[in-house]
Amino acid sequence: MLDWLPENVSIFGEGVDHLFSIIYYISIAIFLIVNVIYITFIIRYRRKRKGEKAHYYHGNNLLEFSWTALPFVLFLFLAFYSDGIWEDIKYSSKTPNADVVVEVMGQTYMWHFRYPGSDGLFGRRDQKFISSTNPFGIDPDDPNGKDDYTTINSMMIPVNKTVLVRLSSMDVIHSFFLPNMRVKQDAVPGQWVDVWFNSRKTGEYEIACAELCGSGHYLMRATLDVTSQEEYDTWIDEQYTNVLASLDTAPAETNE
Amino acid sequence: MEAAISSEQHGHAASHGHHESFIRHYIFSTDHKMIAKQFMVTAIIFLFIGGAFALFIRWQLAYPGQPIPVIGQFLPSTWVNDAGAVTAEWYTQLLTMHGSIMIFAVVIPLLVGTFGNFAIPLMIGADDMAFPFLNMVSFWLFPLAGMLMMAGFLVEGGSAAAGWTSYPPLSAVASTGQTLWIVALFFIGFSSILGAVNYITTVLNMRAPGMKLFDMPMTVWAVFITAIIIIIGTPVLASALSMLFMDNFLNTSFFLPENLIVPARDMTRTAGGGQPLLWQHLFWFYSHPAVYIMILPGMGVVSDVLSTFSRKPLYGYKAMVFAIVAIAFLGIIVWGHHMFQSGMNPLLGTTFMVSTMVIAVPSAIKTFNWLGTMWRGKMEFTAPMLNAVAFVSMFVIGGLSGIFMASTPVDVFIHDTYFIVGHIHYVLFGGSLFAIFAGLHYWFPKMSGRMYNERLAKWHFWITFVSFNGTFFPMHILGIGGMMRRIYDPTIYDFLKPFQPMNEFITINAMILGFAQLLLVINFGYSWFRGQKAKRNPWRANTLEWQAPSPPPHGNFDRPLQVYRGPYEYSSPEAVQDYLPQTTSPEELAEQHRHHQKRLEQQQEATVTQD
Repeated sequence: MLDWLPENVSIFGEGVDHLFSIIYYISIAIFLIVNVIYITFIIRYRRKRKGEKAHYYHGNNLLEFSWTALPFVLFLFLAFYSDGIWEDIKYSSKTPNADVVVEVMGQTYMWHFRYPGSDGLFGRRDQKFISSTNPFGIDPDDPNGKDDYTTINSMMIPVNKTVLVRLSSMDVIHSFFLPNMRVKQDAVPGQWVDVWFNSRKTGEYEIACAELCGSGHYLMRATLDVTSQEEYDTWIDEQYTNVLASLDTAPAETNE
Repeated sequence: MEAAISSEQHGHAASHGHHESFIRHYIFSTDHKMIAKQFMVTAIIFLFIGGAFALFIRWQLAYPGQPIPVIGQFLPSTWVNDAGAVTAEWYTQLLTMHGSIMIFAVVIPLLVGTFGNFAIPLMIGADDMAFPFLNMVSFWLFPLAGMLMMAGFLVEGGSAAAGWTSYPPLSAVASTGQTLWIVALFFIGFSSILGAVNYITTVLNMRAPGMKLFDMPMTVWAVFITAIIIIIGTPVLASALSMLFMDNFLNTSFFLPENLIVPARDMTRTAGGGQPLLWQHLFWFYSHPAVYIMILPGMGVVSDVLSTFSRKPLYGYKAMVFAIVAIAFLGIIVWGHHMFQSGMNPLLGTTFMVSTMVIAVPSAIKTFNWLGTMWRGKMEFTAPMLNAVAFVSMFVIGGLSGIFMASTPVDVFIHDTYFIVGHIHYVLFGGSLFAIFAGLHYWFPKMSGRMYNERLAKWHFWITFVSFNGTFFPMHILGIGGMMRRIYDPTIYDFLKPFQPMNEFITINAMILGFAQLLLVINFGYSWFRGQKAKRNPWRANTLEWQAPSPPPHGNFDRPLQVYRGPYEYSSPEAVQDYLPQTTSPEELAEQHRHHQKRLEQQQEATVTQD
């Protein structure tokens, strides 16, 4: 069944997949043990004659204790082993320093991506500026925000770089799901959550919404382009030029 | 003493041969057995409705956008498009209602309503519930609620469509269907609480003389503990529902953060201060224990059935009771494992993971004790036994797949995928529903006074068992492949395209599974009136209900009961036969031995003279 997993290209994905296979083999082992015993019993202990008496036995405390203690040790081990990986993925104290920061905003039924622009700084955002034309609520008076640019349903990141995603939603709960990166995180309105990943391989991958967000939920699909650093830089420059051009053509909107 | 008082009240009607009117007897009955049957019939009707929803969902997933065969063109245009295919709007309503109906109107009413009502008074030797009138109200709230929920399909905008978990802000977008859902769930909560109060009081006060708590059958224990969970959890759900209702109508914002923009509603700015995660905490505080509400009574029934048909004492009876108590306790403190990816502090993920992993321990105790019960038994594979055996095996699969979700890093990937759908159906169908089938067949003779058709029951079992696994096992694979649950059309995604043949396979199995359930109805419907007359104790079982006539009259028992021993004295060396009812007194036992001795001597004489 493990072959069915989508290709993993993320760094921490290896750990997750490894854990997955450990639990998988433990489950198979337990399933086989229980069912082999079970089927043996079913075949062996059928009633053949009427009125035949079975073995009169109420139980054994030592056995009872051992099959309480064994699973306890096993599952505690699994819990602590899992927790190591969990901390690496989710604890903010263990998040590596980000090379690229992208803000992601879910809106029924699309994903908005925001990049900080040439200065590398995001413009201040505030809930009160959020509108359908300004999904991130960028403060129009903050100069750092002038060169920020956004994309819809397409995300581009450089390969082998730590990407930090700041995630939120402007309406209902969505879930940011990157199957190939082993990333999934709910995007909750009114709250920002950080997730990180690092792709080892270039290519085009899919981004899905994993939380029911209305009848168009299934259409909420975006693409993730993992490219080389050079291609990424070119793309950024291009975007930046576009933003500058739009700033030039609309000077009336700036109140400087 | 309480038993004596209430027996006076009910004994009155019975002893005078008082004839009840049709309405009093069949509709507004206060007799726990009639109420149990009412729960059963109503829930089975809902089972078919909820099942039909699932088949529409499955059709769409296997053949996206293709017209529903035969009936597609007759469905209203708000449900299907011009061609007769399921629309995305109707699809989300269907999946919401499938979950809601199956959980709240099928599994809980069958396990808690039917078995709790039927088995508790009979198994503890009481003549009725402690509060028969409340019991009646508890039943009538349930079909009312079910119909309210279903009425959503007929109102403008359709039924509730935010999933059975109804996470706000999506569910806070007021629609009539969503409101009906909230009100219906409120009623069902009331129904549960009234039932639970009744069970707890009845179990504590109305046991037959001589019956200690540790002489109670597992079914009674399980429903008793379940009732305690209901009392703890349901008020929390009710308060969450009230808050959601107020968010919808009174412009409060318990669950709505500031400056929310919901395009589907003219809500461009909310006053704010709310937290969507609050709903999830409150909802799962009830709904995680609800998973145990939906399996514990099943475990009880299966314990009784396995012991009876293995002709052996239940292995480790006390450990089984403590395991139920442990599952109930742990079940209440692990709700957060539904929220690992919700944006909750990851530190909480760690704590909830550890507590969740620990639940595997009492579950393992139960599984191994069931195996121990079968060890060196003399098993008879009747329909109840087959279903109980299937329960154990399916519950093991459901439990093991649960470990994947309990482990937080793995849950990152499989959360909200079909793996979860596979898991929950192994627990709720493979677990609960097989236990329900076991119990329904087991008590059918006592309920109806007639035997079901064994051959038909076995056909039903085998078809159900095979198609069940064909339906739900591949869902794990879909989940591992990353297929999101609740999506209308998986072919939109490139990485899901290879799974289309599997989706078709599942749908075919689901159709077989659905139609196989008609066998159950045919069998029960026919046997109820035409079946062979049942004896008092057709399974040669120990527990008290088999001491009552089949079917028991209003007031249940026709002779006074005295309990001498635990419920699982099968194959006891003390007894002549392979069972020893709880009510058999030491004197009767001695008499049986004398009788047996005499018969043996006579036989010996006969053989001697023959020689």
